[in-house]
Amino acid sequence: MPDYGHDLTFGTFITPTNAAPAKVVELAKTTEAAGLDLATFQDHPYQAGFLDTWTLLSYVAAQTERISLSANVINLPLRPPAVLARAAASLDLLSGGRFELGLGAGAFWDAIAAMGGPRRTAGESITALSEGIDIIRGLWDTSTRERLVVDGTFYQVDGAKRGPAPAHDIQIWLGALKPRMLRLIGRKADGWLPSLAYIKELSDLTASNTTIDEAAIAAGRTPGDVRRLLNIGGAFSTQRSDRLLAGPPEQWAEQLSDLTLEYGFSSYILSGDDAQAMMILGQEVAPAVRELVRAERGADETDATPAVGL
Amino acid sequence: MDYGHPLEFGAFINPDSADPAGVVDLARRAEELGLDLVTVQDHPYQPALLETWTLLSWIAGSTDRIRIAPNVLNMAIRPPAVLARAAASLDLLSGGRLELGLGAGHFWDAIAAMGTPRLSPGESVDALAEAIEMLRTIWAGDASTPLEVPGAFHTLDGAQGGPAPAHTVSLWIGALKPRMQRLIGAKADGWWPSLGRLGPGDLAAGNAVVDAAATEAGRDPREIRRLLNITGSFGPTAQGRLSGPPATWVEQLLPYALDDGVGTFVYAAPDRAHLETFATEVAPALREAVATVRDVRETEVGAVVPLAIRAKRREGIDYDTVPAALAATAVEPGHAGFAGVRNTYLRGGSPGLVLRPGDADEVAQALSFARSQPVPLAVRSAGHGISGRSTNDGGIVIDLSRLNRIEVLDAATRRVRIEPGARWGEVAQALHPYGWALSSGDFGGVGVGGLATAGGIGWLGREHGLTIDHVRAVEIVLADGRLVRADAEHHPDLFWAVRGAGANFGIVTAFEFEVDEVGDVGFAQLAFDAGNVAEFLENWGALQEAAPRDLTSFLIIGRPRGGQVVATVMATVDSDDPDTVISRLQPFATLGPLLQQAVQILPYPAIVAAPDGGQHGQGEPATRSALVDHITPELAAAASKLIHSGVSYFFQIRSVGGAVADVPPDATAYAHRSANFSVIAFGAGRTRLDAVWDTQIQPHANGLYLSFETDPRPERITDAFPPATLARLRELKGRLDPENVFRDNFSVAPAKPGLATVAG
Repeated sequence: MPDYGHDLTFGTFITPTNAAPAKVVELAKTTEAAGLDLATFQDHPYQAGFLDTWTLLSYVAAQTERISLSANVINLPLRPPAVLARAAASLDLLSGGRFELGLGAGAFWDAIAAMGGPRRTAGESITALSEGIDIIRGLWDTSTRERLVVDGTFYQVDGAKRGPAPAHDIQIWLGALKPRMLRLIGRKADGWLPSLAYIKELSDLTASNTTIDEAAIAAGRTPGDVRRLLNIGGAFSTQRSDRLLAGPPEQWAEQLSDLTLEYGFSSYILSGDDAQAMMILGQEVAPAVRELVRAERGADETDATPAVGL
Repeated sequence: MDYGHPLEFGAFINPDSADPAGVVDLARRAEELGLDLVTVQDHPYQPALLETWTLLSWIAGSTDRIRIAPNVLNMAIRPPAVLARAAASLDLLSGGRLELGLGAGHFWDAIAAMGTPRLSPGESVDALAEAIEMLRTIWAGDASTPLEVPGAFHTLDGAQGGPAPAHTVSLWIGALKPRMQRLIGAKADGWWPSLGRLGPGDLAAGNAVVDAAATEAGRDPREIRRLLNITGSFGPTAQGRLSGPPATWVEQLLPYALDDGVGTFVYAAPDRAHLETFATEVAPALREAVATVRDVRETEVGAVVPLAIRAKRREGIDYDTVPAALAATAVEPGHAGFAGVRNTYLRGGSPGLVLRPGDADEVAQALSFARSQPVPLAVRSAGHGISGRSTNDGGIVIDLSRLNRIEVLDAATRRVRIEPGARWGEVAQALHPYGWALSSGDFGGVGVGGLATAGGIGWLGREHGLTIDHVRAVEIVLADGRLVRADAEHHPDLFWAVRGAGANFGIVTAFEFEVDEVGDVGFAQLAFDAGNVAEFLENWGALQEAAPRDLTSFLIIGRPRGGQVVATVMATVDSDDPDTVISRLQPFATLGPLLQQAVQILPYPAIVAAPDGGQHGQGEPATRSALVDHITPELAAAASKLIHSGVSYFFQIRSVGGAVADVPPDATAYAHRSANFSVIAFGAGRTRLDAVWDTQIQPHANGLYLSFETDPRPERITDAFPPATLARLRELKGRLDPENVFRDNFSVAPAKPGLATVAG
């Protein structure tokens, strides 16, 4: 079973509700205070109850110092890729390399169309996402003076100037469950970001990893080029249980280290908007998972790939 | 032409992507220097520049006071619907510090290279006009009403409205040509050209076009601020336009302000030192010079109310005479925040004016103003009220949400001063660190003022009594505007009346409570299959009456579904000892087949958490209330009929009794002290609910709890207040509010003067 050997990171998935903006910002600061690595926000620009995710990411980045930030995940159909690329690079420059780009193909097409956005089939949305990635990477790449042309079905750039280059190699993580998207991840992305709540059987994760790995190899990449991140939810309690992530911190640590060693995940992103749970994750669970994984990797002499990003 | 705008000064910062730290540093310096505005150009096709929206958001997160604006946003490349939400978000995050500079787009080759459609100049103006409309439509909308905006360039097809920004965001348009200037006159809040691109006479000519278009649209040209981007440098000797000592700058800028009406000067300083000279030497001197001339000319200075706001004003309210202290925070139908203040928890409303006083004196001013206007008056703490209207159609609402302080007066006697606009969830949070709590209701989003003047049947009621039983004094603004303190010694009649019928006598601006020592509590939610509803209710009632006072339970039954009746018992045990909690709950487990159960030891604030956000109710609730001493077999059978009739989607019984009954009936205006239960039903329609309630429940009632009653028939008054209580209330009402100003919540008709007289 795969352990891709990535360094372990832990983060939060914060609901960007606009009824109390200060509380949202405070949870991001709690993420930092808890010693976690990453704060993320969902992006649903058609949802009037949420703060605009890009605005929030930028505002929060200015109010924090250490943590990385990402959308979880950006709604590409409502955020045209060329401007998004420059915005991402700008945020990375302003924050000193603390930005990562979670991207999604879009899902709620009625709501997207209601906002004046496009309506795409699943297949079209994946093609559009692939084109979007090409544009984004192309605009970030200032190592060449070659004219940037992407003549896609859904997105075109024709000679747009490249740059600015971000402060670090921004990782592109895709939220996905189905094979076509998984293959795109293998070909082009730096990370796979599913949500545990939508996984029916843990064995599905193995199949998905295999799909990604095969696509990566076919594209001349290695499976280790793709980080596996997981949105998680759960509850801390004093009693152990036989359920996933419902029990004391030790139980969480054991279960998460299993997910790392058996299913290759290396980043865990906690939902629930609970400051106390964030503190437990950062101060108790994360060090324990790192310890368990280190011990196991040491025993197996896994050849850990160098830490990427984060 | 001088439009009389107060002068403002801003910085035009170059968003150099090679030096992000320097860019942010300059924005911070602009704030330190006391400038009003920091602005950033927007050319998303230009890699030498940081992306503007990202940078503005970052700057907002790095500053506290200065306002921010794009100068100007390229609207050819930014979809307006997403921008509307982004702008509202940035305004909310920054505490109302965003203004929007907008442009139609200019460098079309670069715009097209980014994959954005190329528009002709005329099309780009039309697209901008649609974008302006869309921004305002989304900001004014709410999430429950789908928006339809058909357009040639931008459409909304069922999108949610909102959020509203924190303040009415100004739309300032960068423009040089008449077509755009006419659009500004018709729709925008400002004209924002750059001096370097204007020839002699262009400002005057442009102003004339803007003003003519404004007048034609029925607007006052003074609604439109004139902003000007300027460049220049400082040196010892004058060398042409804006190049020389600060005094020369002042001399040269003065005519722009006084003759061309420029109210905002935005300086693109070549470096930090130049910006400092501009802020510290030019800005104050120019302000003074302009003020001097305006004094001589007797120019009217200040903002005029835009047509868009005037157009939404309601008849009967003299908006221009709203007291100055209230005007700044008042919300009118045309204001950005109106959607957030018009409705209450269960009611849709359309008030003509929401006044938001910040202290007792302002409450008195608000009341005095409201009394002078021939429109309805409503008073609102947090807008959760069911019987209390707290909104209206075309009237005035006095919204007390800014009076929300919570302050410990004396820790030894647990004396706490709480203002009416605080919500109970916040009260619980504030008291918790002291190991205290004050029983309120069952929901933390309820405001203090309405509940603490009516009763307060809450989670700790049997142990600690009603909320009003903890009131030791109130400060209250009476109908005549006097602010008085009422307690056992001062105005004892008023003190008596406020505790149970307070809404009839004035606006309480502060309560003093004696609160209780309360640790963590046991909290249970037990869902039962209540197959035999009557038997279930009777057994639950008997168990509850027999239980020790530290147990208070409430029972909720929804509409029967598929023949099944589910009864949820929610019980609080005032103990943090698990054995005690379990032993108290054990008898309840025998009530029927348990479908679900959850028992936790929780801090009290956890069971009265207050949600965030405003009230967004619609329609008009139909509810009934009864107080009963016991759940008799007859009542239980009647309640079963009510439940099975399906007319009530929410039926609740709250236990009262215990400490509530220790207080004599004549000690407060809440007289029904013998009642052990408060029975409540919410129905989808008034007529159907009344028909069943009147025949089934009413015969068993021994009074009602007014906070849950919405039946407008006059006999409900005598249900709420027994004869002796009502007589005393009417007499006092005759003295304190003879014109019945406060009639919105269980109106007690004032007694005619000259009947009984009781010292008050």
